[in-house]
Amino acid sequence: MTPSYLLRRLFYGLLLMLGVVVLNFLLIRLAPGDPAVVIAGEMGGADEALLAAIRADYGLDKPVLTQLGIYIGNVLQGDLGQSFFFNQPVATLIGDRIGPTILLVLCAQVISILLGVFLGVIAARKPNGVLSGFVSVFATIGYAVPVFWTGIMLIILFASVFPIFPVEGMQSVRLRDAGFMIRALDVAHHLVLPAFTLALIYLAQYARLSRASMLEVLGSDYIRTARAKGASERSVLFKHALRNASLPILTVAGLQFGNLISGALLVETVFNWPGMGRLAFDSILRRDYPTIMGVLFFASAMVVVANLLTDLSYRLADPRLRGKS
Amino acid sequence: MTEATEFKAESPAREAWRMFRRNIPAVAGVIMLTGIVLATLWGTFFYGGNPYEIVWAPHEPPGVTPEFPLGTDYLGRDIFAGLVAGGGPTLAVGAAAAAITMVIGVSLGALAGFYGGWVDNLLMRITEFFQVLPTLLFAMVLVTLFSPTLFTIAMAIGVVSWPQTARLTRAEVMKIKELEYVTAARAIGARNRRIIWTVILPNAAPPLIVSATLTIGVAILFEAGLSFLGLGDPNTMSWGLMIGSNRAYILDAWWPVTFPGLAIFLTVFSVSLIGDGLNDAFNPKLRER
Amino acid sequence: MSALLQIEDLRVTFNTRYGPVTALDSVSLSVNAGETLGVVGESGCGKSITALSVMGLIPSPPGKIAGGAIRLAGEDLTQASEARMRALRGAEMAMIFQEPMTSLNPVFTVGDQIAEAIMLHQKVSADQAFRDAVALLDRVGIPSPDRRARDYPHQLSGGMRQRVMIAMAVSCRPRVLIADEPTTALDVTVQAQIFDLLNEIQRDFGAAIILITHDMGAISEMADRVAVMYAGRVIEQGRADDVLDLPQHPYTRGLISCIPALGKGEDTLREIPGVVPPLHMLGAGCAFADRCAHRAPRCDSEKPLLQAHGHHPVACHAVAEGRI
Repeated sequence: MTPSYLLRRLFYGLLLMLGVVVLNFLLIRLAPGDPAVVIAGEMGGADEALLAAIRADYGLDKPVLTQLGIYIGNVLQGDLGQSFFFNQPVATLIGDRIGPTILLVLCAQVISILLGVFLGVIAARKPNGVLSGFVSVFATIGYAVPVFWTGIMLIILFASVFPIFPVEGMQSVRLRDAGFMIRALDVAHHLVLPAFTLALIYLAQYARLSRASMLEVLGSDYIRTARAKGASERSVLFKHALRNASLPILTVAGLQFGNLISGALLVETVFNWPGMGRLAFDSILRRDYPTIMGVLFFASAMVVVANLLTDLSYRLADPRLRGKS
Repeated sequence: MTEATEFKAESPAREAWRMFRRNIPAVAGVIMLTGIVLATLWGTFFYGGNPYEIVWAPHEPPGVTPEFPLGTDYLGRDIFAGLVAGGGPTLAVGAAAAAITMVIGVSLGALAGFYGGWVDNLLMRITEFFQVLPTLLFAMVLVTLFSPTLFTIAMAIGVVSWPQTARLTRAEVMKIKELEYVTAARAIGARNRRIIWTVILPNAAPPLIVSATLTIGVAILFEAGLSFLGLGDPNTMSWGLMIGSNRAYILDAWWPVTFPGLAIFLTVFSVSLIGDGLNDAFNPKLRER
Repeated sequence: MSALLQIEDLRVTFNTRYGPVTALDSVSLSVNAGETLGVVGESGCGKSITALSVMGLIPSPPGKIAGGAIRLAGEDLTQASEARMRALRGAEMAMIFQEPMTSLNPVFTVGDQIAEAIMLHQKVSADQAFRDAVALLDRVGIPSPDRRARDYPHQLSGGMRQRVMIAMAVSCRPRVLIADEPTTALDVTVQAQIFDLLNEIQRDFGAAIILITHDMGAISEMADRVAVMYAGRVIEQGRADDVLDLPQHPYTRGLISCIPALGKGEDTLREIPGVVPPLHMLGAGCAFADRCAHRAPRCDSEKPLLQAHGHHPVACHAVAEGRI
């Protein structure tokens, strides 16, 4: 992997982010009505003084391109505007909530990939076996269930029938002052249901994908070579085949990340998880546009970073791509 | 052997139809979806119940009062009436959004794939840009900015969902472009637009039809998600809205959220069974795996 | 004394969508230590299936060994457990495949792939195995082997990769080495080098080699004895010189006349008319009858059996009846 390739990817990522900033700007301008009113949100009739302040802040009396320049300049300085509903800078609001979202999304991603790939690999061993059938039925079901509904069903199940997992929030109030380990365990305990809810949809997809990918790889010549060496079935599956079959899985994992964030938004709302999804939901209900735009910006940034990482890990996993651009 | 020769003589569409008919899950999907659509139509035009009207005590469990077979919600509204009334908007938005997705995705994908060069480059950069935006969040923003009506919701879903269709179309078009019959069409002097419409797209149809089917499923889930968050059209009942509005009471009554969820699931499930069936029917070789 | 590897009356069937198909029928072959047996025939004649049967690598299902025996030093491999076969594969018998481009795993270095073969059968440390792998690469004639061992397959040429395959195959000094079209994918000068290497290896290790090929030229260069296969059966078998100089079966004669003789120009290159019939369409008679100039009514109704005739056994009614 050459440094120049890395730099180019980084530059391209930044360009995409700039695109998101411009899009945010355009959305405010394209929305029907006075942009100042839009930015102020439906604050029970924002008074003229506030609107004037906003107009001055965003340069709304200046030409459109100047406004765009001001907006980009602000974002570059880390100023995403002021939330008039929360009465806090948007950057602060998001900074408080991005951690829980990343935690949730990463956990769901890891669970769905690990479990999904494992299921897919053992299903691929017997392409017409019971487990293969189960994987494809399960994948179709997983695709068709609305994720917020799965969450609600799990809440009903675990709140009333098996009360072993908390169904709301991220921390127990009574443990707020406990030691770090206790609090970490508490968060993990709260994480179980939301993470599994979110993982469930993608788990099935990864299982189906890795089954198909494994079947293709298992038919290749180098697998025959491995068997001819006397390698055990487990080594053939998990060492020789999986390493190759994981390449398309990596690609999809990167592409899915955006969808995962969308799913997280619904799951956070259902489980009252204090992340960006809940923030987006709350601010959209209040038409708090600066916050909404900030969330859109950060969520897109997460996707850009995820794509970058996927790209790099793809290159690490496939020696044929190393050193190429 | 004579049988095998007959297979070859069959047109691809007929062969696909024959394969599809034999696929039990796919046929089950068609029957299920037909049932859901008929129930929705019947509910919209013949079932007298008003889904907004408070008709009974709140949280009447299902199966107790024969008039309200699925019980009532937290306000005492008839859940069955909600289900049959909410199906129409859900299905209509799903279908419309899928259509919009396909129109945008197929046009951009076909242009990029056919012309290549800078056109392809530009369109693909735009596609990548749209893929960076988290779909649901972007749709939420669009719907909020342009006030939620069935039309804006369908538009918003279409605007955020097209990139995958565009990529698929582009790949198919690039593959078909190199085939001999396209060269043949060029050789007889056909114009580009004619080649795209009469030669390339018909040949790219099978994967696009499969993708369109699956897109309907995704769009229905999308609409449900938006309505669940309270961003649906406030003037129409929908399955997602029923779940969203009864969410606060799930520990008191499971049925007001369970039945609409099942309805969404069964609809999307039947659509995806049909999509898988079409996929198998168009690619008989893949099926043997 | 029986041979090191002895295939007796082997029958292999495959379940296909046309019903069960016999891919190998009463195939009997044998090879001794230090000897090279050439197995020759067009693609689809059962050469590779024979090789995979010996290795116990027939994809199953759909394939299965339906009868006969494969004896390695007296042990019947068709009865051996999967664990026993794993212990034998790579250690006692090894295989070199046709496609060096796709037969090496693209995500591991070639040194690691050879070292893996060593570690599967010998109790050595990973470091030692890798050093052995480097030594093997040196042995098969790869320049700067310690650097090459850290290369991935895509960084090597086709000939190099086939050398890697050979190094891997001989890493545990197998008693039987099966080479399935080892040079088909390579260009001519490299082909000769690979054959030389195989000959050297055989001299050093005393392995029995089964060389599978459709190339009569390779047979004449390498083989001590030769078996000609057609549509899943052995149709002629004997010492390489005998079969090449005095071919009896019309098919063998056709194959030999296909070798472009040096200096005689293009016009001597003849093709056997027609194609091998698909296995599911074999009738009751001789599978070659459709393409044969000596076809008689009996050829369509009765399968000829391999019978001693002249110098060596052949399966042909026309030869048996003295018509040719």
